[in-house]
Amino acid sequence: MSSFQSAVATRPNLKWRVVDIAVASAIGVASSFIYWFVAFITYTPWDALDLLVPGLPGLFNGLWLFAAPLAAIIVRKPGAAIYAEVVAGVLEALMGNTWGGTETFLIALVQGVLAEVAFLIFAYRKWTLPVTVLSGALSGVGCWAYSFIQHLQGIDLGGSYGTIYLITTVLSGMVFAGILMWYLYVGIAKTGALDAFASGRQIRGMTH
Amino acid sequence: MTEELAAAPTSSVAAISQPGNARLTFEEWGYRHASRRHFAVRGLDLDIAPGQRVLLLGASGIGKSTILAGAAGLLGADELEEVETSSSHTHAEASARVDADGGMSEGRILVDGVPTQQARGRVGLVLQDPDAQTIFERLGDNVAFGPENMNVERGQIWQRVERSLAAVGLAGLQLHRSTMHLSGGQMQRLALAGALAMRPGILLLDEPTANLDPDGVQQIVGAVGDVLEAQHCTMVLVEHRAGPWIDLIDRVIVLGLEGEAQRSNHAAFRRTAIVADGTPDEVFRDDSIDFAGLGIWVPQRYRHAKDEISRIHSAGEPEYPPETGIGEPLLLTKDLAIGRGGRAIASDINLAFHSGQITALVGANGAGKSTLALTLAGLLDPVGGRVLASPVLQGDADDESPSDWRSSELASRISYVFQNPEHQFARGSVLEEVMLGPLRTGVDETAAKTIGIGLLERFGLRQYAAVNPYTLSGGEKRRLTVAASLAAAPRVLILDEPTFGQDRRTWMQIVTLIHGLRGDGVSIIVVTHDRELVTALGARVVELTPQDSAGEWNAEAGVACDTQSSGAMKTDAQVPDMDMTGVCGLASADSPQVDALNAPSANAAVVRIAVSPVNTRDEAPRPSSRSRLLASLNPSCRLLGGFLASLPMMLSLDWVSATTALCLELVALMAIGFTPWRIMRSTWPIFIGAPGSALAVLLYGKSGGTVWWQWGMINITDRSADLALATGIRILAVGIPAIITVLGIDATDLADSFSENLRLPDRFVYGGLAGMRLFSVLRDDWEALSASRRSRGLGDDNKFKAFFPQAFALLVLSIRRSTMLATAMQARGFGGTGPRSHARIAVVHMRDYVFLAACLAVPIIALITAGLTGSFAFFGG
Repeated sequence: MSSFQSAVATRPNLKWRVVDIAVASAIGVASSFIYWFVAFITYTPWDALDLLVPGLPGLFNGLWLFAAPLAAIIVRKPGAAIYAEVVAGVLEALMGNTWGGTETFLIALVQGVLAEVAFLIFAYRKWTLPVTVLSGALSGVGCWAYSFIQHLQGIDLGGSYGTIYLITTVLSGMVFAGILMWYLYVGIAKTGALDAFASGRQIRGMTH
Repeated sequence: MTEELAAAPTSSVAAISQPGNARLTFEEWGYRHASRRHFAVRGLDLDIAPGQRVLLLGASGIGKSTILAGAAGLLGADELEEVETSSSHTHAEASARVDADGGMSEGRILVDGVPTQQARGRVGLVLQDPDAQTIFERLGDNVAFGPENMNVERGQIWQRVERSLAAVGLAGLQLHRSTMHLSGGQMQRLALAGALAMRPGILLLDEPTANLDPDGVQQIVGAVGDVLEAQHCTMVLVEHRAGPWIDLIDRVIVLGLEGEAQRSNHAAFRRTAIVADGTPDEVFRDDSIDFAGLGIWVPQRYRHAKDEISRIHSAGEPEYPPETGIGEPLLLTKDLAIGRGGRAIASDINLAFHSGQITALVGANGAGKSTLALTLAGLLDPVGGRVLASPVLQGDADDESPSDWRSSELASRISYVFQNPEHQFARGSVLEEVMLGPLRTGVDETAAKTIGIGLLERFGLRQYAAVNPYTLSGGEKRRLTVAASLAAAPRVLILDEPTFGQDRRTWMQIVTLIHGLRGDGVSIIVVTHDRELVTALGARVVELTPQDSAGEWNAEAGVACDTQSSGAMKTDAQVPDMDMTGVCGLASADSPQVDALNAPSANAAVVRIAVSPVNTRDEAPRPSSRSRLLASLNPSCRLLGGFLASLPMMLSLDWVSATTALCLELVALMAIGFTPWRIMRSTWPIFIGAPGSALAVLLYGKSGGTVWWQWGMINITDRSADLALATGIRILAVGIPAIITVLGIDATDLADSFSENLRLPDRFVYGGLAGMRLFSVLRDDWEALSASRRSRGLGDDNKFKAFFPQAFALLVLSIRRSTMLATAMQARGFGGTGPRSHARIAVVHMRDYVFLAACLAVPIIALITAGLTGSFAFFGG
């Protein structure tokens, strides 16, 4: 239907609609369940991996980072990454996790802010797989840095533990929060659930 | 105009703010959704006079919902720019506007001459799905929401709430009552009350009763009738089944398309046309309109013989009647007790299901129909007694109880079609969806494909083979779920509300399909409240009747076959053998040929199962903390207190400050009513987390002093041991107050406080709050998804592998739900830029400041103690 071309897509509309807020919240809520579940099942393997290779359990960290990039690439509004990650973190904490409330909130905030940076760099105009992977990676850096400010203060962040933990966490962020979230977004979009969003219509070939 | 009757005690106030009913005008209006290539509605010209009560009819997909959404001002928000649209097929040029949703609108909709987007609150909209319109946890808050968005003053809001609830017959319910425990009819009346509280001049009803049982339908129709009587609003109703509404209606408009016939694939060219417009008498008596073809149910009083739903017959149908089926029972229940979470809602159920038999499980919403059906399907464990498969049905399965079968065994024997098709989809394309059953039950790829394509042909879905199942229309989704359930060739097929919300055309397709299955010797069980479905199928009726009510399904037949059984199933005693057909012996002599004039209830007999009454008890308000002091504090202050108590502790990593803080906290918490045991129970996860982090620090932490043990990168020293101890204790000292102060805060209270005390933007606060409500809904969705996956043969997979596709389905569901929720919120006037009022007050008292000071004192004392003892270690340095 070429006759309905318009120039809307060129300038992103950065104003949040009610549906943007509701869906970003829903992503946060759904993610919180998974965050909680992951926290629950990784407790034992975490210590085992830590004994095997110090810092190796950082590979799990991406499983707590994905709400931010996912919400951002779906909703495409400034702050979506921060918002969804904080919602997910706070609800996870309320269900009860091994870190307690304050720490979960703050680490979620840091992770969300860094995930957001990736999209901010491109002025909320570029929504691609590489940018999503960058977002996951940055979020991983936030996760790593925060751990050493808080519960791993007793460990030297420049030492071998710190280095391995950084590499594993960033890698995990790139895979779980970056690559996987991109394909998850594409999968969701194909169901038509995102038709109210430019992101969904783009995948379904309905942009105009 | 005197819309509000003077009966209200404060009518002097009401009279001033009471707007009259309004005129609704469409001027060449059209809308194209961003996700569609074609205009849903185009060129609509319609004028609805104040006080008119309009029934809007037309086939599915004609754009009725779009028209109502447009009239409610939900479309075309924040229009960005004008674009010239010229269809290449015509020379007509129109000015269209693109909105923030990417949709495009043409023309105008006016409410009393004002564009509808600017007439916020003048139009109230009630949608189909009661779940999707419940925005808040507490009943009263849902009604107050509209007036809040219209910036109505607080005192008046609660007056409006009271009055609106009274108008819909919910006056007795407590305002703090949870919406989780309302029946469908109650929830829908609540949605109506929410719309009424805005004092709309126009009431728009978009299939408000499609999801309700007959009792719920009557509740809504009655409530709307009362409201129209009292307030004379203009009403526009969209409803496939207008029968119960017909007395309220004074104008019927039938919509069709113009220009569709000649160039159907250039639908951009099509225009919405009014096929008929007049009084109900004029329209429904007009023989030139093909109501059945348009998918319209002609109301009972206007029905000709051809409109009547009668027992249908399919080609090659077996001789024996559907009420009885044939041969030995395939599936039977023995003293079965059903319920969820171990509590029986009905017991001593003895039923038998035969090959070729059609059974309808009926009863009010919430009576337990689905619970019984899920138990029969082996998806829910019986509370007592057993469900037994006949040897024929059992085949080579190891057990005779379906609930003990493996998922793949179940899939080829008993299939369950869920009410919500989206609970059921498990694959990315329609063809894969129908191939799933055969593949999971050991059929090879090629054969599965043959079966799949055959079924798609039969169900008219062949052309969608490669399409994603979620993107089908409602009727297509329903057909696909039935096709997919049949693919594994089950002997028993259970369908939960298969015809719910369908227009007449789709309804007919589904009913014909179900009926056609008899020829395959399948025993069919439908859970339904659709009397016409029961008639058309000629089904045996099993009714679940709450002990405190008489049941509805034999009322018209005039024979009380069941003298109010209490607890046990009366019929059990009457009929010694397993064949429950014709229990009450009031079968019409020649029931196989129920003809056009027979009322649905003239089915052979009704089997009654007594269930415990649907819960209507009062609820005590839930305290927001186990400590009365904490419960009385402002929620934001509680949150902030948690931070103040824990954050400064990050400054130093040493065991002195951590231990001091932990001791102070324990003393303080015990002083306000927590036992140490309770503290442990509320915060147990951190007692697991703390040693974990401590261990990492012990092994790899900063080293110094005596080396205890070294191996590879592990280096345990005096210093790392010190730091590990400090880390462990500090995690407790930081975690305990942060959890205890926050635990139990009511989300709505917190949102109010965020908005009123912290001045966070309402859009985010309440938009977020509505999203959070999904939290509780999602648990039910997860359960339904697990059951459906078991039913489809996917339940044997390793839990880890099964988790991800199921989580994906949950995410899709939650996104859909939140999208609908956003629409419902906007329909109540939410999301605008104007000022909002607040129905609830969030106050910060003196005691809140004291609490904050006390919270801050804990880390300060702890850190000073550490400083004085010389153990202060800045960031562990």
